[in-house]
Amino acid sequence: MGIRRALRVAAAVAVTAMVGAMPALAEEPGVTADTIKIGSFGALTGPGYLYGKLVMNGVEAVFDEVNAAGGIHGRKLQLVREDDRCDPAAAIAAVQKLMHQDQVFAMIGGGCSNATFAARDAIETAKVPTVIFASVHDGITVPPAPNIYSTALTSSIESQAQVVFAQQQGAKRIAVVSMRDAWGRARYTPLMEALKAKGITPVADEELSPDANDATAQVLRLKAANADAVIMILYPKPAAVFLRDAYKLGFKPLAVGQSGIADPAAFEEQVGVPGATAMFRTISQVKYTPDDPAMDKWRKLMETKFPGDRLSVYNLFGIGSAQYLVEALKRAGPDLTRAKLIAAFAGIKNFNTDVHPGPLTCSEADHRCHKSPAWLAKEPGGAMKVLGVTTVEN
Amino acid sequence: MLLFSYLLMSGVTTGALYALVALGFVVVNKATGIINFAQGEFFMFAGFVAWMLHVQMGVNYALTFALAVGCGFLLGCLTERIAFRPLAKSDIVSLVLATVGIAFVLRGLARLIWGGKADYLSFPPLTSPDPIMVGNIMVIPQQLAVLAGTVVIMAVFTVFFRRTRAGKMMQATADNAKAALLVGIRTDRIYTLSFGTGAAIAAAAAVLTAPLTLLYPDIGFAFFLKGFAAAVLGGLTSLPGAVLGGLLVGVAESMAGGYIHSSVMELSPFVVIMIVLVLKPSGLLGGRAMRRV
Repeated sequence: MGIRRALRVAAAVAVTAMVGAMPALAEEPGVTADTIKIGSFGALTGPGYLYGKLVMNGVEAVFDEVNAAGGIHGRKLQLVREDDRCDPAAAIAAVQKLMHQDQVFAMIGGGCSNATFAARDAIETAKVPTVIFASVHDGITVPPAPNIYSTALTSSIESQAQVVFAQQQGAKRIAVVSMRDAWGRARYTPLMEALKAKGITPVADEELSPDANDATAQVLRLKAANADAVIMILYPKPAAVFLRDAYKLGFKPLAVGQSGIADPAAFEEQVGVPGATAMFRTISQVKYTPDDPAMDKWRKLMETKFPGDRLSVYNLFGIGSAQYLVEALKRAGPDLTRAKLIAAFAGIKNFNTDVHPGPLTCSEADHRCHKSPAWLAKEPGGAMKVLGVTTVEN
Repeated sequence: MLLFSYLLMSGVTTGALYALVALGFVVVNKATGIINFAQGEFFMFAGFVAWMLHVQMGVNYALTFALAVGCGFLLGCLTERIAFRPLAKSDIVSLVLATVGIAFVLRGLARLIWGGKADYLSFPPLTSPDPIMVGNIMVIPQQLAVLAGTVVIMAVFTVFFRRTRAGKMMQATADNAKAALLVGIRTDRIYTLSFGTGAAIAAAAAVLTAPLTLLYPDIGFAFFLKGFAAAVLGGLTSLPGAVLGGLLVGVAESMAGGYIHSSVMELSPFVVIMIVLVLKPSGLLGGRAMRRV
């Protein structure tokens, strides 16, 4: 009887212990004893795929590397992708599907700013820890949602960097040419604030439509204003039209781009006029060009994983962002909960990834972890090069 | 004066892009009496086909042009068979909505097929990329090629409608389809021909303009809007009107941008259209509207 009773007690204790221990896992969707399911949303189709599919490919390369080394605390990472087509309504549907149907534990994604901004409320409400990898809209991280952190630059950080860079290059007469759609306004407003903060009044302030096929009028007005630097808040297409027409009209100012035109090599082809991009400089979220020897390891991994693809700067966005997520997952410990992961996000300070120009630093008050844009240039017909890094404090 | 010359040339060369799209609208409208809302997507789709042939497969420019135009023609014919003919006896709203549906299908297909190639695909120019002097102003040679293409296409189709049997049958069908049928015109074939021809013009336009506009799946709507505005301004049934409308839209944009501010560029052509339509509802060169009694 004594033995039987002892066994009963032991069994009861074991069951109680198991039940007591299980809620932590059972209540955390997307986590099993050996896997962690991570959702990713962004454009898989359409022109925005650069900021979606290619970035996700970079994330997946990091996950593969982590999994090959045994995973995080014994758990392998699984990536579930969802297409938001750069469309706000589709982005909301994509995150809802990932969070509620696929039951992911956390998310890493967000390519197009307007789409990600639209999805912010749904993500915040569901309290799913999320890392933004490419979207720059200030509204995604300011004011901070408790569960959303970003390793992408933000519009206001880029705007400040554009002004600082133009001044560092000796510009005295700064002009602005911008799109005034939702994407453009999200950058234009902080740019004007940044200029005002430096006591600069633009010598000209022109608009260009996203579908513009000619920029003669804008170029003539900027030329008449004798601008020596033009800050461009434009997609690659209108920017290409602008530089083509500027070259045609003999107007060759310093052209200061932003991360919307993150690939100067592709941009040179889009402009299509030899020499027209000679004075073009643009922001990159990462400090390396894809052909840099420092990226050899990632180039090999990407080309093995995605035959036919070449390493691109967009892959690098994903690599850096995924390394941040992996670091936070490690710090969250083996008893993984969403609350612990969110706390780990906030605790990451001065963390260097393989790709970012400066260390990532996050806090509970400031979820914009990346404040060090790098500057890229490409000699016409030559190689791309990194000119330097501008660190923005606020 | 130099400023005016530059703005005028810029308006004319941009207007030529719009005119090319407007010509396609007019050809379809002349035969069927409807507005084809998929015209911009024909332009986009044919542009991508041309890109695939010329850039990816290395086909020479002339053959690319011919194949893209042929592909455009087939696409137009197919559209007529699946979206127009089954609804031919329906009201005009159903017909127009069917073309809207085709536009969405084509855009979705383009996103799937070519959406993952680049954000904006570049297309090598037919001419030298370096600007040249025309008089005392600099011009991109491809812009002149577009302008020349517009004039040639307009001339060819003006002759087609005035001198050829098929062209006259198309006009007769548009004027009165029942009467055309009674005198032995196969109106179903005429509809197929007109959709095919409209799409072929869009294809020609795409190959000519792609080096200037770049290619992306959403380009069709922007061109639809401006091309439609040009066609309405010119008078919907007039080929010279379409060209004139396109040029006026382009020049209005350019002048407003240069002399007022770039923020009014997008608005200005529509103000011009509104004024013209109030004064002359059938458009600048459109025939007088007839009312059946």
